[in-house]
Amino acid sequence: MSLIYIPLVALMLFAAAMAVGMIAVGHFIGPRRSTPVKRMPYESGMDPVHDARRRFDIHFHLIGILFLLFDVELLFLYPWAVARANPEGLDALAEAGWAVDRGLILGEVLFFLVLLALGWVYVWRRGLLRWR
Amino acid sequence: MAEFFAQYMPAWGAYLLTALISVALLLAVVGLGALFFIWAERKVAGRIQDRLGPTRTGGKFGWLQSLADGIKLITKEDLAPADADRLLFRLAPYVSLAPSYAALLALPFADGWVGWEINTSVFFLLAILGLEVFGVILAGYASGSKWSLFGGMRQAAQVVSYEVPLGMCGVIPVFLCGTMSLTTIGNMQAGWATNWLIFHDPFTFMVFWVYFTCAVASVNRAPFDLAEAESELVAGFHTEYSGLRWSFFFMAEYNSMFVVSGLAAVLFFGGWNGPVPIFASWKAAGGGWEIVADLAGCLNFIGKAVLGVMVMIWVRWTLPRLRIDQVITTCLKYCVPLAAFCFVGALAWQLASLPSPNDWLSPDPAGRAAVREPWVERAEDGAERSGTSGAEELARLAEDKR
Repeated sequence: MSLIYIPLVALMLFAAAMAVGMIAVGHFIGPRRSTPVKRMPYESGMDPVHDARRRFDIHFHLIGILFLLFDVELLFLYPWAVARANPEGLDALAEAGWAVDRGLILGEVLFFLVLLALGWVYVWRRGLLRWR
Repeated sequence: MAEFFAQYMPAWGAYLLTALISVALLLAVVGLGALFFIWAERKVAGRIQDRLGPTRTGGKFGWLQSLADGIKLITKEDLAPADADRLLFRLAPYVSLAPSYAALLALPFADGWVGWEINTSVFFLLAILGLEVFGVILAGYASGSKWSLFGGMRQAAQVVSYEVPLGMCGVIPVFLCGTMSLTTIGNMQAGWATNWLIFHDPFTFMVFWVYFTCAVASVNRAPFDLAEAESELVAGFHTEYSGLRWSFFFMAEYNSMFVVSGLAAVLFFGGWNGPVPIFASWKAAGGGWEIVADLAGCLNFIGKAVLGVMVMIWVRWTLPRLRIDQVITTCLKYCVPLAAFCFVGALAWQLASLPSPNDWLSPDPAGRAAVREPWVERAEDGAERSGTSGAEELARLAEDKR
């Protein structure tokens, strides 16, 4: 593994050690007197009705799928934003036979955004943004 | 710092020591920051609601209140409901806390004062902040309580929706500066306040507000705090948590608030570069003065980030909570198109080389217009743009101007 990841690993270990340590201290200091009533899920003072793992609105699932579509596509913008300013990225484009100019760089991303916008309009037309 | 230690020991040892020192510093910052923000929130909330907030603990102003609360929480019983998925229930607070800490690692506090210097830090920050939602979803699902489940599901839908406009707002400073390194982006905004990216053009000005809205939503603060929604869902996803495990969610939340505000400060408000370039000459003097200048920059950055957090607190105690459909609609119908519009606008502004206020307002030619279209720079000097070291970048840009 490269040296570059040392700070990340160090932070993870430190943070985990701190969190586990704090919980452990709480474990030893705090009281432990568990009763069946304490272990009941909270339902505003009533005895719980049914199990909590039940069906919920399909909308949450659809929003999740929508996120996958949009966010994964949005991630392409970041490499683009850096590559357009970078000689390496531009030279690679030139070598691939593209006439590299401002218009192309703008056009590329506009095309991409138009595709996203089409998907967005489709989602809107299908009524995903409407909650009933 | 690594260079300093490298005089006395092998390279990997110096690197490890540097990493450990910066990580320890960051954890200290995080701990103290969370204590301070929780106290500040209670004081501000008190004042907004025409009461005093904590006044007794620690003498004046109740400044030890959060520490006292922390000690109280340690002595509380750590409970799990009988229906809970024990492993996930216990894991969730850690999953929530770890990303918000790790995000600080890539956040520069001053020029070069960053725990982990990577040239993709914007990307890293947004990615790792997105991980925090897993903790909340796990907590909501694993608790085995209906309130928790509702909170977790709402949080999942809300945070993933707001990732999209947040990412789109974040990419605008990135393409204006041509780099994903936060240190370089911060250094490119050196000089007068007119050089800050928020004043670069009307679109960056507009997109900052979109960014701030989405940031508030993505750290799950009111008016977007639907996952907690204490007046409708009891306490939302952390209904079943108690003691320190419960407090971990709050440490994560306050820490994320600081991180998104800090990110806004670097991306739009020049980071450690003040409204007036007082310390530029000190920085150039080198030696001890350079450290003093960096320290002042660090305080400057922390001031801006804390100001952002204070605005979030102010907003929380002033605005009513939205409904879940309003939250999703705000994101998908308003924030996403606005961010996309600003993206195209800022891009067109830069490609057309339209003026930014810095071009005529800055009295100092050397500090003027460090933010330039990278394309023009390249055509002019034809030199290599490594984009690794912020200080080098700035020196090169200043050279070009002369």
